[in-house]
Amino acid sequence: MDTTDTNKAIAQVLARLDAIDARLDQIVDRQKKSDELFSEMTPILRDVMGTATTRLDELDKKGYFAFGREALGIADRVITGFAPEDVRQLGDAVVGILQTVRALTQPNVLEIASQASEVLEKSDQAEPLGLLGMVRATRDDDVQKGMAVMMDVMRHVGRAARAVRDEHRPSAADEKKAKLAGVLGPRKKKALGVERQLPPSVAPRAVAPANLGPPPACAVPSSKPREVAAVIDGVAFGADGHLVDPKVWTEEIAVKVAAVQGVELDEARWAVVRFARADFVATNASPNIRRITQGTSLATKDLYTLFPKAPARTIARIAGIPKPAGCI
Amino acid sequence: METAINKRKVAIICSHGGLDEVYPALILGNAARQSGIDAFVFFTFWGLDAITTSKVDHLHVNLAGNAASGMPTILGGLPGMETLAASMMKKQMTELDLPTVKEMLQILDESGAELYACELAMKMFKRTREDLLPQVKDVITAGDFYDLAEGAQIIFT
Repeated sequence: MDTTDTNKAIAQVLARLDAIDARLDQIVDRQKKSDELFSEMTPILRDVMGTATTRLDELDKKGYFAFGREALGIADRVITGFAPEDVRQLGDAVVGILQTVRALTQPNVLEIASQASEVLEKSDQAEPLGLLGMVRATRDDDVQKGMAVMMDVMRHVGRAARAVRDEHRPSAADEKKAKLAGVLGPRKKKALGVERQLPPSVAPRAVAPANLGPPPACAVPSSKPREVAAVIDGVAFGADGHLVDPKVWTEEIAVKVAAVQGVELDEARWAVVRFARADFVATNASPNIRRITQGTSLATKDLYTLFPKAPARTIARIAGIPKPAGCI
Repeated sequence: METAINKRKVAIICSHGGLDEVYPALILGNAARQSGIDAFVFFTFWGLDAITTSKVDHLHVNLAGNAASGMPTILGGLPGMETLAASMMKKQMTELDLPTVKEMLQILDESGAELYACELAMKMFKRTREDLLPQVKDVITAGDFYDLAEGAQIIFT
């Protein structure tokens, strides 16, 4: 190793030492600055802490922390009371809510609300108002205006309610399903009046006249003495084709009269005729169609099928009793 | 005599919707059928109410301007009076065992009397076939009415 190499190495070492020295100077300098900073900051920090403590104390006294604690309680209740799904829906609705709140907090709206609430506050002093008072009040321009506003609000509420109802309407698929079920499922009972009675092949069930109660007041029999218009085979008939004296009636007469009326007496018709006869004997009044339908449990339509022309009259003629009175 | 009865036919026009105005038409129609007379009833203007499903059970008695009601017109116009009169009349009818308007229409239909609605009145009152009772046979015009009423006696109530 020669001297030049050694000198070079020493020079390098010295250069490094210089660099280290410069760093040290920097560090010492920074340390000094930090110390100065601390000494300067301490009083400031003390002040800040003091102020902050006083402020917090003030806040506590004003009840901010109690409020916060309560608010946390509310949040807790909200979280336990609402499912995440509710919150998601709330998120969707939040724009609408904010718009509503903004509309409600417009100064003029608030002004109206505050005035209205002032009236409500004084509601204990309000005078009771009768019907006439109400009518009188409607003459007031302001009341009229208020009514117009309320009507408009009601109109909008109604419209919104209808929109909501329409939303809940069953979908087209549901309707199709219901229709299919209606076709496949058991037949629903049709509304009154649509359903046609079966043709009267079954003999009508006769009801004892006593169970029917008295005939309607409009069916009072005529008390006029009946005139004889014709005597056929020794039996006297009136001008209207009814027997003059119901007591002379026999089943043979009934068959003959029925033949003249163009009716063949089968068992179903006999049952009706017998009911009419029994009802006349019991009440001294010929039954009208309504009473016959009630007494024999036949439908009006069936009676018209059995006795196509003027059923009650035809039945009365065959049964040998007077023409039925009354309109129904 | 029978043939004379067979040929008889009545066409009844029911143009008012009051309880007391509908009954005569229905009773006449029913009495015609009971006497073996062919009958049909044509419902027009307010008479349509009698065959409209939603209205048939709520027909009222018109008191205002009704001299026979025995009540001053000024009282008859009060709210609720018509309902009151209608309910009183309905009570009376129940005592007489008179069928309701709906039952009367059903009896008429079953006895073979035909019920028709006026097309023009239907348009005026914005009603459709679905609003009417199922007993109504058809919706016809005044011209159709005359075709149907050929040879019939026409009764306007």
